[in-house]
Amino acid sequence: MRRPTAALVALALLVVAATVGLTTFLRRGDAAPAVTVQRAHKGAAAPSFSGRITFLVVGSDSGAPKFGRGGVAERGRADSLHLVVLDASRRQGVVLGFPRDSYVPIPGHGTNKINAAMAFGGPPLLIRTFEQLTGIKIDYFALTSFDGLTDLVNKVGGVQVNVDMRIRDHFAGAFLDKGPQRLSGERALAYSRARKTVPGGDIARSRHQAQILLGGLGTFQAQVVKDPARVMKWLAVMNDEVQSDLPFGEQLHLALFARSVSPGRLNNVVVPNQPGTAGSASIVRLLPGAYSLFARVRAGQLA
Amino acid sequence: MLAAALLLTACTSGKKAGAPATSAAGQATGTASAPLKVQVEAAAQGPEWGFDAKVAAKRATPDMERFLSRYLTVAFLDPGQQRTGWRELLALFDVPVQQAARRDLDALSLGTAAAQVKAVQPGPAKAAVTFLYQGSRPVGATVKLAFDGAADVEQGSGPVRLRSVLQLLWTAKGWRIASYQSQTGASA
Repeated sequence: MRRPTAALVALALLVVAATVGLTTFLRRGDAAPAVTVQRAHKGAAAPSFSGRITFLVVGSDSGAPKFGRGGVAERGRADSLHLVVLDASRRQGVVLGFPRDSYVPIPGHGTNKINAAMAFGGPPLLIRTFEQLTGIKIDYFALTSFDGLTDLVNKVGGVQVNVDMRIRDHFAGAFLDKGPQRLSGERALAYSRARKTVPGGDIARSRHQAQILLGGLGTFQAQVVKDPARVMKWLAVMNDEVQSDLPFGEQLHLALFARSVSPGRLNNVVVPNQPGTAGSASIVRLLPGAYSLFARVRAGQLA
Repeated sequence: MLAAALLLTACTSGKKAGAPATSAAGQATGTASAPLKVQVEAAAQGPEWGFDAKVAAKRATPDMERFLSRYLTVAFLDPGQQRTGWRELLALFDVPVQQAARRDLDALSLGTAAAQVKAVQPGPAKAAVTFLYQGSRPVGATVKLAFDGAADVEQGSGPVRLRSVLQLLWTAKGWRIASYQSQTGASA
């Protein structure tokens, strides 16, 4: 991968959301990149920026020294998993949240929790797993960590989120009142991690992660509407924080693409599922409704 | 839109149009004109450390001035460009947006009104530019562009007005427009 190039605003936002569990450091000196953004399939042609683009946004549980998480994000477990489908021509989109314990076929590895795919074979295997599961072609992959999320959110001045429940979760360090508020990086991370004491557990957490993502997108759009030159300011921040092998032109087009769909036109859905067990392990099984949902998205029904 | 604005202005102003002594047209009409001077106010964004925004903005300004001058010249000062299908204008757009730009010519240039315009006398042209640097070179820029002029038509003359926000990308061929929000005519 080349040196860190300018970041995609859009992806930054996505990443932010994804961040649920990802970490990263500021990209400086020997530090690892806060966020990685790349094409899902190397050598593939760039997608049309006037049509539909799909992102797989992943938060890793590794590579976050600030939070005591060692290792490399790309080889960690993917704890935050969202497929983001944006259709610029229809100005609408959908964010599909996948519980990390979703029990699904992983190519070459039988059936296992979906978050194990990245540990088994890095981002390429995770991408293949998602494409096989959903039948939806992925264009871009964004990976971040706990550190990456917090740094990114702080650098853009926080994200506006409508917190949908009162949360007091010591495990995630989340102490939030219900209602709209601007979250700092640390509070955004806590909101996206809270699970154990939150009604709905994993499902609520996945929804909250997507809210952070949409909050980032909304913050970006609001700033750019007020001052179009903010696009360059966001890209400059991203340049410091994101590692990408995308040419700058593609990054700019992606950032501009991120203006095309307002968060209010993005459907935030956690795929239908049901808790269960496989042997002694707690898992989540996707229900038939999940596959119907995938089919609708493939057919372009994003609302 | 511009056509309507021009015709309306021409009619209400009641001024008699006279053939301009010198056309501001460029290559397409085969007449020469002095380059349009665009007044640029520049700023720059770049790496958090070791980046001198003032120096960077100053260094990137001349190229941008030339690009914007070229854009305004082919879009507004040379009505003959219409006969070529605005080829030179569209070449200033990045490939992915050329098709959209072709549809939006009325908001980006004289557009369909060009057929009625004999010449355009340029007025003030101002641009507020924010460059984005990667390493030691600019790779992108946001431009808020304002241009005013006067168009000579058969019935008289009328104002030409452009207000636009352009997102630019530096390519092997120089600056190219990657995105735009643009308005022409009286309401711009």
